[in-house]
Amino acid sequence: MNGHNPVKTFFAVAACRLTRWGLRVAHRGGTTLPGRSALLFDKKILEVVSSGMEIIVVTGTNGKTTTCSMLRNALQESGVDPLSNISGANLLTGITAEFTALATLSGKPKKHFAIVECDEGALKKVVPLIHPKVIVVTNLFRDQLDRYGEVMHTLEEIRTGVGLVPDTTLCLNADCSLTSSLANGVPNKVFYYGIGPDAVDQKNTDESNDLSDAKYCINCGTEYEYDYHTYQHLGGFRCPKCGYKRAATNIEVSSINKISPKGSDITVRFQDENQDITIGLPALYNIYNGIAAIGAYEAAGWKRSDITQSLGKVASSFGRMETFTYNNVDIQMILVKNPAGCNQSLSYLSSMENDYVAVFCLNDKTADGHDISWIWDADFEKVANDKNCKKIYVSGTRATDIRLRLKYAGADESSISLVEDENELLKAMTSHSLPVFALPNYTSMLSLRAVVGAATGKKEFWKDQK
Amino acid sequence: MSDRKLKIAHLYPEVLNLYGDRGNILCLKKRLEWRGIDCEVTEVKLGDNQSLSDFDIFFIGGGQDFEQEVLLNDLRSGKGDSIRSAVEGGKVFLCICGGYQMMGHYYQTKEGEKLPFLGVVDYHTIGGDVRMIGNYAFRLPAESGGSDVVGFENHSGRTYLGEGVTPLGTVLAGYGNNGEDKTEGVRYKNLFGSYSHGPILPKNPAFADHLIKTALKERYGSDELEALPDTYENEAHDYVLDKVLRGDMSGD
Repeated sequence: MNGHNPVKTFFAVAACRLTRWGLRVAHRGGTTLPGRSALLFDKKILEVVSSGMEIIVVTGTNGKTTTCSMLRNALQESGVDPLSNISGANLLTGITAEFTALATLSGKPKKHFAIVECDEGALKKVVPLIHPKVIVVTNLFRDQLDRYGEVMHTLEEIRTGVGLVPDTTLCLNADCSLTSSLANGVPNKVFYYGIGPDAVDQKNTDESNDLSDAKYCINCGTEYEYDYHTYQHLGGFRCPKCGYKRAATNIEVSSINKISPKGSDITVRFQDENQDITIGLPALYNIYNGIAAIGAYEAAGWKRSDITQSLGKVASSFGRMETFTYNNVDIQMILVKNPAGCNQSLSYLSSMENDYVAVFCLNDKTADGHDISWIWDADFEKVANDKNCKKIYVSGTRATDIRLRLKYAGADESSISLVEDENELLKAMTSHSLPVFALPNYTSMLSLRAVVGAATGKKEFWKDQK
Repeated sequence: MSDRKLKIAHLYPEVLNLYGDRGNILCLKKRLEWRGIDCEVTEVKLGDNQSLSDFDIFFIGGGQDFEQEVLLNDLRSGKGDSIRSAVEGGKVFLCICGGYQMMGHYYQTKEGEKLPFLGVVDYHTIGGDVRMIGNYAFRLPAESGGSDVVGFENHSGRTYLGEGVTPLGTVLAGYGNNGEDKTEGVRYKNLFGSYSHGPILPKNPAFADHLIKTALKERYGSDELEALPDTYENEAHDYVLDKVLRGDMSGD
């Protein structure tokens, strides 16, 4: 922290605040410009304005936003309002903006706690400046491929970031062979979480999709053997040749007692006790997010009951299982960005016992990844052939691609309608007196969320916080 | 003609499974089924030593560099020879990205290391620093059906065809083999090599049908094939073609 120039700090903070204020007056939710203006005056402003804070960073392919929201919620329930960035502002500029805007003009942070969602590629730029107490890595799946190349590349980006902060505790998903390899050869303290062998009913696990992102041992190339799978490549892996295997966990879900559309009841095994915990969001991947959040809290040494008692009350975060009601029709919005997350969401839809309408929105903007070929790696067959799925709408810049995918998945061509305009889409999709599940990717979620939010009186995302 | 049947081999599906390329198999399967032609897909994995002589169409996709070593060992154990004789025997091969590179002589890494490949056709690939990424389009010559193909390329290797080797098509917009000579892919006998993900076949139904016809002709001597209502296919195709010809390579 030595050598920081107070004049540079002053201008950086002032520039950031001014830009942000300007954008908000203009009713724009810009998230990178304020950070850019701060960085213009001081490249290392983030180190100054985060100095002395207790910070948890969350990264990984899926679940970052929800895990952060669980952590933030726990702190808020305990009476602490942490600093946190919103999703979509998880690169160096966005994170810089958030910290800088909440500092005094002399660069002193006004808050003590922070929950930071960080893009995998940005981790190496962010963590050496904010010195987090804990870095949580949720999982690694193939993602927006044209941005990162391949999942191994993403993993190496995270490894580089982790290598820069030896004093940070790593909180790793033990069930993901890629993620848990981050512990190899680093001096950091490591805290493992996972879902245990007895928690998942192997008869019902999802192995229909054999597209694994990690089939072969990361150390020696031998095919892994599995004692159990939770989904995709997550589970009880072990390499028969070199012995690399799922690590013994510090905490894990020892049983899943109930899964419903409203949430899940689980039992968590801590080192000193077992506890029944309710997670107020549905689907298996939110159980992973919940146990990641508990793990992070434990690893940070924060009060256990704050997180365990708040998980039942956690609200869905922006566009992620978020629910709306329009003209008496329930709409649930589920952000999907890659095959792993998409398959989990498609399974969720096909588990519905009643009829429903499915909506798929696909954009190919920079924030989405220009390559939309991943839709052919996701099992749209689950919904296309589901007798409860009565009607399908497609929208977005690549609507014709998702429509084609659904045709080849077996959907009846006449059951699919393409509607470009979101206002018309909202009317059409809610015209069947059936619940609607909308599965947009990132930028199509932002635009659909804006229309649905406005029609149902929900707030814009940048007004969501503070 | 309802007693016709084509056998498809999906080579190394467990390793070469990136970028949605398995959609090509689904596309061939559905387009055969919709015409009442039987179709059998066999996954040929690492360590499988079955005969490859009875298949009509082979598909091989791209994978992660990390897993390539495992694959090269398997090819050296004999499967490479079976693949070579199937190509020489006129079987239809669709080879995409890494699978395409693998049919050439070698891949030279940025550091200068040469990884020997199958050498079925005379070309080689040189690793580079620049990743050639984006939607692109290329035009097929008449002998490959003559259609305009759209796809998504994502490669840092630059492929150079040997003297007299025919490319699959001519680049209309984008990089193609190497970003320099406007060639895209390779055509040798009935082997079709391309960098195109997307996946290539669903949005290019004319090209998909060209592969099917070529395989039918090889097996049955006739390439008679009923037309399909390809509205969804063509609309998706035209959207990307318009976009890349306009020079709009992003989506923003």
